[in-house]
Amino acid sequence: MDGVDGTDRQEGKQDGPTPSLLFIILDTNPHAWALLQNTLPFSKAIANILVFINAHLAVNNANQVAVIASHSQRSVWLYPRPPSDPQHGDDSDTGMDDENKTDTSNLSDASKYRPFALIENSLLHSLRKLIKTTTEADIKATTSTQMAGALTMALSYINKATIAFLDTGAAAKPTPTALDSSDKAVGLQSRILVVSVSGDLAYQYIPIMNSTFAAQRLRVPMDILKLAGDTVFLQQAAFTTRAVYLQLKNLQGVLQYLMMAFLPDQLARKHLVVPTQEVVDFRAACFCHRSVVDVGFVCSICLSIFCTPPEGAICLTCETQLALGDYGNKPAVIPKKKKKKKRALDGGSSRATPAPEAA
Amino acid sequence: MSDSDGEYQASDDGANPNEELATGTTTKTGKQRAAWEGVQRSWAAVLDSAGDGSIDSMVQTLRESKQRKRLMKDTTPLQRGIIRHLVLILDMSFAMVEKDMRPTRQLLTIRYASEFITEYFEQNPISQLAIIGLRDGVAEMISVMGGNSTDHIEKLKLQRGKEAAGAPSLQNGLEMSRAQLFHTPAHGTREVLIIYGALLTSDPGDMHKTIEMLKKDKIRVSIVGLAAQVAICAELCKKTNHGDDKNYSVATDDHHFRELFMKLTTPPITRTKEQSQASLLSMGFPSRISGAGQTMSFCVCHNKLCSGGYLCSRCQSKVCSLPSECPVCGLTLILSTHLARSYHHLFPLQNWAAVSWKDAVRSVACYACQSPFLKLSKAKEKETEIEGMVKIVESKIVSESGRYACPVCRKHFCIDCDVFAHEVLHNCAGCQSDTRGLADESVEFAA
Ligand SMILES: [Zn+2]
Ligand SMILES: [Zn+2]
Ligand SMILES: [Zn+2]
Ligand SMILES: [Zn+2]
Ligand SMILES: [Zn+2]
Ligand SMILES: [Zn+2]
Repeated sequence: MDGVDGTDRQEGKQDGPTPSLLFIILDTNPHAWALLQNTLPFSKAIANILVFINAHLAVNNANQVAVIASHSQRSVWLYPRPPSDPQHGDDSDTGMDDENKTDTSNLSDASKYRPFALIENSLLHSLRKLIKTTTEADIKATTSTQMAGALTMALSYINKATIAFLDTGAAAKPTPTALDSSDKAVGLQSRILVVSVSGDLAYQYIPIMNSTFAAQRLRVPMDILKLAGDTVFLQQAAFTTRAVYLQLKNLQGVLQYLMMAFLPDQLARKHLVVPTQEVVDFRAACFCHRSVVDVGFVCSICLSIFCTPPEGAICLTCETQLALGDYGNKPAVIPKKKKKKKRALDGGSSRATPAPEAA
Repeated sequence: MSDSDGEYQASDDGANPNEELATGTTTKTGKQRAAWEGVQRSWAAVLDSAGDGSIDSMVQTLRESKQRKRLMKDTTPLQRGIIRHLVLILDMSFAMVEKDMRPTRQLLTIRYASEFITEYFEQNPISQLAIIGLRDGVAEMISVMGGNSTDHIEKLKLQRGKEAAGAPSLQNGLEMSRAQLFHTPAHGTREVLIIYGALLTSDPGDMHKTIEMLKKDKIRVSIVGLAAQVAICAELCKKTNHGDDKNYSVATDDHHFRELFMKLTTPPITRTKEQSQASLLSMGFPSRISGAGQTMSFCVCHNKLCSGGYLCSRCQSKVCSLPSECPVCGLTLILSTHLARSYHHLFPLQNWAAVSWKDAVRSVACYACQSPFLKLSKAKEKETEIEGMVKIVESKIVSESGRYACPVCRKHFCIDCDVFAHEVLHNCAGCQSDTRGLADESVEFAA
């Protein structure tokens, strides 16, 4: 697989159009998919996504794709498959061999473009393995999904791919991080697509926001395709990274939405009218109960957010004794105005005379 | 994508010595690889047996060690004044015409100041800034206190055409900053940063009185000098920083200057309670409405017709930009993303430790980006040949195996992911991506 990637990059720098890397984060939360059983079964969704991946690869033969699953308690690579772990390599290796035999038979299908078949096989195999290794206890433990981990891995992968692309491409100057180079909007065009089915992610607030700002600095748009639920922080992420956020009303048309809204890369989007969000929810999660709030109390030292003033007015994060204001309807601003007038006069008089005098 | 033609020409012309050197080495190793064995060059130092290869890997190791050294910082969360109010005073006197820094001190300062402003607002999103110039003995207001980085940068760029002239007056600049910092609320910091090229100051009155006033107003002063130490600057910094003289530094060359300048974008540590009064602020996080396809309405802040805006979370009145204070109910309105930008200061990512070969066998690829690690058997053969490299490795800064481990989740990562995670992402891929078997509470906010 590495070999394939390597040649792709080599070709990419000679060919005209800039290659793009599509990173798909697939929310595989079993609870949420179970609810969608009647409208959009998981298998049908995967089939649609595979068509979308093929379309992306067909646009430019230097295009790359990577898929990661954000499962109930972990994030797992689906494509490219991670190199096997020597520690528990035994069982997975034998499993892979079995699958590989069927893989090769599938690959020899002459009517299928080989790269499409490669990805399809790899992705389906990884997914089957993921579902097989999910225990009942895992499902019972949580109803949420490990989105922060998937985003973190996605951004690390994109950062690395950008560095690798610059190394093989025009290495005009040594760039230790992708940050410096990303300013020039050349090189690999990467984007993330999150296919999300889970609701609230309030307990992952900080890692998700950290990922959002990292994506913004790398200029990687975080597109969100929402099949179910509503996640405040993913809305903010899409808005901050200037990406597309779509909440589907008609799940049967998922492929149509994927093709029309999410297939164009950043360069193409400049010439298109992309869907915008009518309302962006900018609520935050409080640090004390992880509940989503629209009015909160903020510590002026560390900016932690609380839904109610903490006990004893001591900040739970930085342990500073805080002065409590009057939180009624009247703002505490009015008395300050008097002070301002007096002091401004005072400051004004002392700087009025610039008579040069060597010190 | 810069085309390769341009690159080759650059090395002929020698326009930029650094660039030339870089392209020179890459093409050299590129050729050598093709001729010898065609080994695919890994990002991790490939220890070729030939002399060129070892130099190449030496360079790689040195680069890694430099990156790591920068990363090895103190990760204890400190109380930092995150709501900052800073006045940037730029010397624009005759001393800035000097060309010891290219193109001139003046132009270089303006360029770095623009970078500083961008980074300042990146790191301190709800802070404010003002810019003052010192020219012809007077203090000149370049940009008033505000939170919009593009406004400041535009006003600063206008200064590029103006000639630096006359004598600077520190006192006038400081008095003007005092006036600027007067209205600022007590819960934020009050700071003055001076970029000073001259070795003198021509003041209208007693400088020491001004210093006393600054102390009284809890304003702290930092100075970056461009020429040499000046006694009054040292005194000024020391007295306004509770006897700490670290805030006065003199740049030796333009790189050092940039480093010193940019270091001041990190919020200062709050030393005493008096410096900033901590308080609990009530804030609203309004939702943004794009207003597309709906009738326009008036905003309460400017009484202007506009389509989009933000609805106050308490009274639902529409304001057109954030951060601001709701004119109707007085609630401070802010984008929650503004606050979230600084949370990595509160929950810093722990430093990752270098992994020795003994533990390295556990992993074959970086946990975050899946790029394969160098195998022990391959690396061992050549390791002893390069003494210099071993020396750097011994210092425990660079990992001999090219792996770095997170102390919490014990997963292994490559140098690129290490740098990226600590400088940009502030998340650990390992800690975030597998919560099986961990107590729920301990994971929740461990960023
Ligand atoms: Zn709470
Ligand atoms: Zn606090
Ligand atoms: Zn307005
Ligand atoms: Zn209001
Ligand atoms: Zn890595
Ligand atoms: Zn970790």
